[in-house]
Amino acid sequence: MKKSLILLLALTFALFIQTDSLQSQDAEADLMVGVWEPSHGRARVKIDKIADKYYGKIVWLKEPNDPEKGTPKVDKNNPDESMREVALKGYRILKDFTYSGKREWAEGTIYDPENGNTYSCVVKATDDNTLDIRGYIGVKTFGRTDVWKRLAIKK
Amino acid sequence: MKKLFFLTVLLGFSWATQAQVEAEEEDDIDYGAVELVDGGRSKTFANSRISGTSPQRFVNVGWDVQAPYDMTFSPIGSFAEDSAFAVGQQATGRAQYTGGFRFNANIPVISRNNLVWQMGATYWDTRYNISNIAGDSLATGKQVLNALNENGIRTGGINTTIYKPFDEYQFILVQASADMSGDYGLGLQREVRTSVAVLWGKRPNDRKQWAVGLSRTYRVGAMNYIPIFLYNWTASNRKWGVEALLPARGAVRYNINRKSMLLAGFELEGQSYRLNALSETLYAANNGSLEIRRGELRPRLEYMRQLTGYFWLGVQAGYRLNFSYHADQLPSGKEFFRGFTGDQKFAMLNSIGNAPYAQITINFVSP
Repeated sequence: MKKSLILLLALTFALFIQTDSLQSQDAEADLMVGVWEPSHGRARVKIDKIADKYYGKIVWLKEPNDPEKGTPKVDKNNPDESMREVALKGYRILKDFTYSGKREWAEGTIYDPENGNTYSCVVKATDDNTLDIRGYIGVKTFGRTDVWKRLAIKK
Repeated sequence: MKKLFFLTVLLGFSWATQAQVEAEEEDDIDYGAVELVDGGRSKTFANSRISGTSPQRFVNVGWDVQAPYDMTFSPIGSFAEDSAFAVGQQATGRAQYTGGFRFNANIPVISRNNLVWQMGATYWDTRYNISNIAGDSLATGKQVLNALNENGIRTGGINTTIYKPFDEYQFILVQASADMSGDYGLGLQREVRTSVAVLWGKRPNDRKQWAVGLSRTYRVGAMNYIPIFLYNWTASNRKWGVEALLPARGAVRYNINRKSMLLAGFELEGQSYRLNALSETLYAANNGSLEIRRGELRPRLEYMRQLTGYFWLGVQAGYRLNFSYHADQLPSGKEFFRGFTGDQKFAMLNSIGNAPYAQITINFVSP
């Protein structure tokens, strides 16, 4: 019983050490989590971590309604016709990002509702509150970088 | 040991459950009532493009071909623009084939929302097959017809484009290129001709962009300074639009669907082509350069359609109208400015017939 207790304490201690180290690594990886505003300022995107990957969905639109129809904007440019009635608010435009170290997230995609295109994407945090979002095709040279700023609830 | 196993499983389960709950949790936050963490407002910059335009071409390769037409060249000398020539002084020929390979590339070096900088390269090759070349010893222009028939003419060069938005609406656009044009072969051309355009403009919304500026250009053959006007517009239904950089080009666009479009418009094409061997023979004394000032207007219809992914096919058909095919002698190769009203004499007064033309391109386009 005494041996078991010592073993349990040792395991718990090891678990705490490991957890602490993982938490520090996770904290850096989770920098991406939060609410962000793209440079055009017309939308806000909330990035969450689900399992080990990061996903971002539109949570706010400056113009939530279609000016012609007066109804909530939908993903009308989606190449998949069955998706064209899906509301833009709540739409997941960032998908499958994994943390690759050095404040960079890769292997994800970004969807542009303006033209219905999906691009490969890499994200880099230039500081705690700024993300460089680079969408590209094939190689990173053929792409464009947008700067997103972190948002917080007004106090 | 059993207890230990139970504890470990319990800890693990609790951790996993917590992560799952966080991931699936829905919130009631009013995202309209949030502010930037570092204060102020996010800096918005005018995008370099507007909605609905034809895709921007990163790389394109193509083939351009013209239908047959007649060519009439003056002797080589020094002539006022309204000079007349006696029978027998002019050389003639018929271009049975005019065409060749074209390559353009515009690669982004920096592409951010507050600055776009692209570097590019161009290589346009034009080969001639001229039949019935005629002219006696007085018709020295025959030498030029022969040189064109043997060597063709080409343009190779590099260019750069800088787009700098100042805020959500205003921007400047600078384009510059350095080209070698002439009948050179594998070697480099002696003369490098530069073109520059500087524009300032506004992008009031996602469907309109305009700018005004000034250019130093060879599009009318000889070097010229021309005011320029950029206007890009897309209708609210995104079906119709205008893409223009006047006077260089302009088109009305009709978007057939997401993967194809039709453009009806025109382009002004031109360059100053040095004829190497003739320059060295004729103007050895002043190290001069004999250059054909080729400028042409091409009214045209273009159909573009997506092949797959970011590859688009472009098919163009139109009419090539000759604006200038005269030649100048440039002592020591130094450029001069004639403009539209200058009275400097020409080294040759040439005319070529107008002809239908067609062009096919494969384009790797921007996202």
